[in-house]
Amino acid sequence: MKNAQTVMTRDIDANPYHPWPARITSIMDLTDKEKLFEFRLIDEDVREAFEFQSGQFVELSIFGVGEAPISISSAPSKQGFIELCVRDSGDVTGALHAKQCGDVVGLRGPYGRGFPFEEMKGHDILLVAGGLGIAPLKSLINHIHDERHEFGKVTILYGSRNPAEVLFRYQFDMWKHRDDFDLILTVDQPDDSWDGETGLVTKLFDKIDVDPDNTYGAICGPPVMYKYVIEEMRKKNMDVDRIYVSFERRMKCGIGKCGHCGVGHQYTCVDGPVFNYWEAMNLQGAI
Amino acid sequence: MFFRVIDKERLPDLVTGLSTEYEVIAPVEKDGRFVYAPVVDPGDVRLDYDTTLLPPKKWFFPAEETLMRFRVADNEVLDDEVFAAPRVLFGLHPCDINALLLMDNVFTGRYADPYYMRRREQTLLIGVSCSPSDTCFCNVWDTNEVHWGFDVFLTDMGDRYFASCRTVKGAEILDRFVENRTVTDEDTREFQRVVHDFKDAFDRSVDTTQLPVLLDAKFDSPIWDEFGEKCLSCGACSMVCPTCYCFDVHDRLEPDQKSGVRVRTWDSCQFKEFAAVAHGQNFRDTRASRVKYRYYHKQWGYLSKFERVLCVGCGRCARACPAGINPVNVIEALQTGEVR
Amino acid sequence: MAPRVAIIGLASDFGCQVQVTNMEDHLLDVLGLMDLSYWQLASSGHLPDEYDVAVIEGAVTTADHAEALLKARETAAVVIAIGSCAITGGIPALAGTADYDARYGVVYGDGVAVARGRQLPAPVSSVIEVDYHVPGCPIDPAEFVTVLSRAIMGLKDDMPRDPMCAICKTQENVCFLDRGRACLGLVTRTGCTAKCVTLGRPCTGCRGISPEANIPAARLVYAEKGLDPLELDRLFDLYNAAREVVV
Repeated sequence: MKNAQTVMTRDIDANPYHPWPARITSIMDLTDKEKLFEFRLIDEDVREAFEFQSGQFVELSIFGVGEAPISISSAPSKQGFIELCVRDSGDVTGALHAKQCGDVVGLRGPYGRGFPFEEMKGHDILLVAGGLGIAPLKSLINHIHDERHEFGKVTILYGSRNPAEVLFRYQFDMWKHRDDFDLILTVDQPDDSWDGETGLVTKLFDKIDVDPDNTYGAICGPPVMYKYVIEEMRKKNMDVDRIYVSFERRMKCGIGKCGHCGVGHQYTCVDGPVFNYWEAMNLQGAI
Repeated sequence: MFFRVIDKERLPDLVTGLSTEYEVIAPVEKDGRFVYAPVVDPGDVRLDYDTTLLPPKKWFFPAEETLMRFRVADNEVLDDEVFAAPRVLFGLHPCDINALLLMDNVFTGRYADPYYMRRREQTLLIGVSCSPSDTCFCNVWDTNEVHWGFDVFLTDMGDRYFASCRTVKGAEILDRFVENRTVTDEDTREFQRVVHDFKDAFDRSVDTTQLPVLLDAKFDSPIWDEFGEKCLSCGACSMVCPTCYCFDVHDRLEPDQKSGVRVRTWDSCQFKEFAAVAHGQNFRDTRASRVKYRYYHKQWGYLSKFERVLCVGCGRCARACPAGINPVNVIEALQTGEVR
Repeated sequence: MAPRVAIIGLASDFGCQVQVTNMEDHLLDVLGLMDLSYWQLASSGHLPDEYDVAVIEGAVTTADHAEALLKARETAAVVIAIGSCAITGGIPALAGTADYDARYGVVYGDGVAVARGRQLPAPVSSVIEVDYHVPGCPIDPAEFVTVLSRAIMGLKDDMPRDPMCAICKTQENVCFLDRGRACLGLVTRTGCTAKCVTLGRPCTGCRGISPEANIPAARLVYAEKGLDPLELDRLFDLYNAAREVVV
């Protein structure tokens, strides 16, 4: 083939599948299964370009094992570092759990649509988390904390199976005495040490007052939880388009191509993972 | 558009000429069916083919491809070069060109896929007119006609081809590699006659009225259970589909475990684990839910984003499905509530 | 310390071990990561007292086999079953499709105890839990290396689950069923790139029945293509005669 012109590209910016090296800067054991990892992107330009919203996620890449989508737990206001709360539940997350501080993994992102932080300003906020669902909400909670004066009443309801599985307990224990956050923790199976509530997170709705005209809701938890929490929020007359949910689906490429995270007529990775309830209602099979 | 007429007996010159500068891919016979394969001898090209086993997507988005090489120790990408040789896809039917335009919507735009894009940029498309087969229903989606997306389109007029050149490159290769002449009024009249006959030949009638609404309104219809009972979950439909783009990604280590490659392979929403997440939840656990999702996405999900259905009516899935499930009987079942 | 690997051969023709031995170049790389304690064909010697990974080839056909497996499970942290015999009972299990004792008599003579405690041939998983699987008859050495490295890295077993048709389509094979010939690809576990069909032979199911196989639907397909639906079940017997006991 004479005169054949072969095109090649080595432009890393042009390849959205290319993960960026990120160093683990801290690892904190949260429970038996979950650890909180803090990462710093090694390339300075990439690090500075990495801006995200609460509710967005990254693809965590460990070469030789694979990739996994993980929602970001730190607040966008914490610059230069990215925190991921990761449960050891598969090959990639298992391999991450085996890593040590200083090890390098790959990250790409941030991806998806997060919570409408700007729109939420000026309103009361009701956050409801179940289990590992606290991970993306933690980002939102911390972001609200950093701009606390912009918000009205902030209520956090967080349910876990048992006291040993309560995530970020160190932070919540410190917050118990704060009066600018109404924090209620509950567990299904209490032990002798438990001084919080007992039962499902939906039970906590009896204990709170909601101003339906002025409240944004945000929900994240196991798939079975959404329907019941939304019911409670609707009983409090909250608007369908002010209730936000974050979905977990199999987001493999993160960029709307591979098809795995399809929910109804949308892709969770680019159209979500955060949807308002009106949108979610219109996604067949979502809730 | 720029038009030319080529004598049919001169067409092999075009293939021969193109071969000096491009890898030429064209339909050739294989065990009584047809495949797109590299050709050197123009005599191997079979423009009388009905359809190919696999669609042309494999030349842009191969069934398996390496995305990058990596090193394990420092999690570093060693090489993510995208290599694409200049190529001509010769003899594409209108449905397959339309299918590539639908694929473009996914792989270009935001987060453009460099692997697909490079091959697309490096490939010329030469289309050719066709005639309807038993399984095709392209006229239902208006994909039996193609207006752009090709470099040259050849309309068969018996002893000659009416060549429509959509791009500069297309006009250039015609002039360089094959004897041709300008179009006469008689040629244009004959062209008009041929394309009308062509259009009349595609007369498949399928009621697609309000399909997206029906898919929602009949989301819980028992027809899906019936299709689910027939489905083999084999994924053949997705592989042969010219518009299915779903993929999976795997890392493969070299035996020394020090380096490896990240590869992507075609995937299918009909596979059980397709929508399962790490914690064990599977969002489409039943065959019925997976068959339904395939059609839901093609006729509504994709449409909601790109205003076209993700089907060109090529009929490959109808032929490939061992169980005989095909879009026409699915759409009819949705309309009538009965699986035939 | 490199993991110590032992190979244990039960009832089989050792074809899988031959496959692995044939791929020396690649093997050496993997072996660099592990200590090969006992390799039935590649070396001689007896099973050591301690090892970390047990690679098991062959079907269980005697009480000795079952005992050896229990011992292996106790000793090894990881058990890998390789080949059809070990995973589905394979060819040995074919003996169980008719009166096993009578057939045994025909082959070995009445009442002659060739093997102590002979039993109906069965897959390894009928006796002990298996952590990783390399299906096929014979196995593909490259797949063996992949599984072995996954085991060494502690990753989950990733044995393909879905039927074969998809990968067969990517090879642009003309479907045997469309030509009126029986093929088991539509219910057989994928992962082999449909090698046999590509070489012009219908699939015989050596990788075992796909856990996602829709067998009633497959019988209907056979009928639709002019084949006897029960032909599907008869063809299974070659590699999947013990399908009732495959875990």
